[in-house]
Amino acid sequence: MTDATLPTTRPGGLKRLVERYPFLPALVIALVLLALNGFYQPRSVSFIGITGLTKTYLALMMLAIAQTYVVYAGDIDLSAGAIVSLVNVVIVVMMEKMGGSGFSVVAALGLGLATGLACGIVNGVVVAALRLQAIVATFATSIFFTGLALYVMPVAGTPAPAAFWRTYGGRFFEIPFVFYAVVVLAIMLYVLARTRLSTQLLAVGDDAQAAFQSGLPVTRIRIQGYALCGLFAALAAFCVTGDTASGDPLVGGKMTLFSVAAVVLGGSALSGGYGTVIGSIIGALIIGLINSLVFFVGTPSEWQNLVQGLAILLALMAGILVGRRARA
Amino acid sequence: MSKIELRGVSKAYGATLALRRGDLSIDAGEVHVLIGSNGSGKSTLCKILAGSVRPDGGEILIDGKPVTITGPRSARDHGIGIFYQELSLAGHRTVSENICLSDMPVTRAGFVDRDALEARAARYVALFASVAGDGFSADTTVENLRADQRQLVEIMKALATEAPVIIFDEPTSALDRAQVDRFFEILRDLKAEGRSIIFISHRMDEIFAIGDRVTVIRDGETVGTERIADTNPAAVIRLMVGTQDELAPTNGAPHATAVARTFVLTLQNLSGKGFANVSFEVAKGEILGFGGLHGQGQSSVLRAIFGVNPVASGEIVLGGKTYAASNPREAIRRGLAYVSGDRGRDGVISGRPILENVTPIHYLRQKLRLARPAALADRVRPALEALHTKFGGLGHPINSLSGGNQQKIVIARWLIDRPDVLLLDDPTKGIDLSAKTDLFALIRKLAAEGMGIVLYSSEDAELLNNADRILVFNGGSVRRELTGADRTRYNLYQAAYEAA
Ligand SMILES: Nc1ncnc2c1ncn2[C@@H]1O[C@H](COP(=O)(O)OP(=O)(O)OP(=O)(O)O)[C@@H](O)[C@H]1O
Ligand SMILES: [Mg+2]
Repeated sequence: MTDATLPTTRPGGLKRLVERYPFLPALVIALVLLALNGFYQPRSVSFIGITGLTKTYLALMMLAIAQTYVVYAGDIDLSAGAIVSLVNVVIVVMMEKMGGSGFSVVAALGLGLATGLACGIVNGVVVAALRLQAIVATFATSIFFTGLALYVMPVAGTPAPAAFWRTYGGRFFEIPFVFYAVVVLAIMLYVLARTRLSTQLLAVGDDAQAAFQSGLPVTRIRIQGYALCGLFAALAAFCVTGDTASGDPLVGGKMTLFSVAAVVLGGSALSGGYGTVIGSIIGALIIGLINSLVFFVGTPSEWQNLVQGLAILLALMAGILVGRRARA
Repeated sequence: MSKIELRGVSKAYGATLALRRGDLSIDAGEVHVLIGSNGSGKSTLCKILAGSVRPDGGEILIDGKPVTITGPRSARDHGIGIFYQELSLAGHRTVSENICLSDMPVTRAGFVDRDALEARAARYVALFASVAGDGFSADTTVENLRADQRQLVEIMKALATEAPVIIFDEPTSALDRAQVDRFFEILRDLKAEGRSIIFISHRMDEIFAIGDRVTVIRDGETVGTERIADTNPAAVIRLMVGTQDELAPTNGAPHATAVARTFVLTLQNLSGKGFANVSFEVAKGEILGFGGLHGQGQSSVLRAIFGVNPVASGEIVLGGKTYAASNPREAIRRGLAYVSGDRGRDGVISGRPILENVTPIHYLRQKLRLARPAALADRVRPALEALHTKFGGLGHPINSLSGGNQQKIVIARWLIDRPDVLLLDDPTKGIDLSAKTDLFALIRKLAAEGMGIVLYSSEDAELLNNADRILVFNGGSVRRELTGADRTRYNLYQAAYEAA
């Protein structure tokens, strides 16, 4: 079979496709990883296996989404994980104080969202209005938020009420709760993608000066991006709480850079202006699949981190190569 | 009563006085042309009107009432739209999104109304449908468009403001003839609707084709307004030049070495991206100037000689032997030197010590692999001192120096092992007056010692005062050679502004 017999692979067509759907390379990688997972551990691609994967990595997906909105505008949020920690301890303490009833859960979630939003706005004001470097400023606020979390709950371990994690891990009409969460999330993302804000964030990320000169309120838009990030970080914290069933003032710290990695794996440009939320979700999934694959192939525990790191690096390179080939 | 009036508007960027005293008065239904040489302050004036630059002083009146324009949004509210010279497009967004970016239509539920957005954009895209060329459609992402097509998108974006006053800051610089004609038809329609247009261009023929009045800006100051019907290109150029022609060229006796002119560099019909059929020779001891407006091929030629940009056809002879410019390493070995005004891109090795910034060429020319820092320092110091470079110590990072001193370091790099030909690509960009004086004294001295020098400068005074001969570039080729007493600002402008 020679190249001449392949009339349909117009390079222009592939290029257009990847341009339109920047997450395609990531999707391919995720599917390959899924297949590998299934090869080494057939049960991992069963309904229960997928449910478990979603349950564990829904939080990272949420945080990757959160990160995406700031990355759209060319910013970054290194405090995203700290916000997760803070919201986690805030809601656990609140639910405990109020006795763990259904109402207390709802009230705590409201407070959690408010906390996330407030943290996001603080970040946005510091970065966009006070014009500090996003990397350094959000690193500083991350320490601040972590400090707050440690104040709210000095040691990890306070359990979340059963009403909360039973719901998160439970089923309704035979369908696991997390899948309802995924559907609601999909609707939210669809709605968000159609608002003016998404396009404006991307335009700011493309060229902030041009956006300003075009009459866009650049500072306000960037703050809104951080606010959105805070909200989704709070949602991520709800998932973490549902998954771990307890409060831990340091639980989110290591998630921050995973969220950034997920965004990049998903095909978004850290320089801003280019990317998709779907890509980031797939990126988070890739990280999850790599972690479980490393486990399934039976890597000795002392090697697991190393192999995970290498695999993420490989996935990044594969994504870049596929993307570049397609766009060349 | 004028639609818009500016009185004594000024703006300084740090020590640079970009606009000294901008006066301008625009009537409804006129195309008002702004003209002035590069850096005279036209864009600054436009940006002040468009709200993206806050003025330091002066007054703006709209319909006779004084207004304060606080930002681009506020300018829009005052009925001012603008085409930015450097464009204001989001590269990853589509043509439609860019056209409607500043106020995207939304549905009652708060979502972007894609249908309305596309319908609005389509109106403006349709205006240029006949001339936009291949690959242009409303849903193309802007980064995939050619330069002229991007410029069309920026025009559409400015038109989409539907503002009573629209500023076009060099909208035609990348457009072809047909596109310009179509654009002018549209401008005439706008005029007929009673809208006011501010139009900037360096092309004299365009100015006389479309303008009703012309205002000349010189060194940040409005020097006059004329009705196009009552003036002619020569008069406009005289207004741009002012009385500066009295500052006659000051350098000593040019061509003193003309008796035995040995050519160190000869170009024959060299063509490449951005220039065509360029021929000239540089003699030992001569300073050959490149003049003309920005971006007419001067830098491209120099970079091609130095092997940075590819050469398509033609011949380069260096020291009597033909030379294929393939890469800068080869060029350096063959005795060429290149100093660019774009220090960040071409010169400075950022974050590294001064010593390391001076020595790379020495390593290359001498095929050094190892060297003792003390021995190197002995060679470096005289080179730096020749330029009166101010620096703390050779170990200090280069970024700790001012722009002018950084540039001296970059030049000193070439002085340890003398090249035969020195190519200067607008070398004084952003350096102060005394550094400039030092630099040109040094260049003259190097020439006197037998080096052949090519100097491209965007400042006409530098050229007139330092070059023995001047080649005026326009549209990528040499339009005119000015020698001896012909080297006047008037001649320079005339050749530069002539229809290409
Ligand atoms: N943001 C800035 N910071 C510092 N200096 C600036 C800035 N913008 C412009 N200048 C300087 O102000 C002066 C006027 O610039 P301006 O862009 O208004 O010139 P212009 O007349 O539009 O020139 P051109 O014909 O090249 O477009 C120049 O000396 C320029 O270097
Ligand atoms: Mg300008």
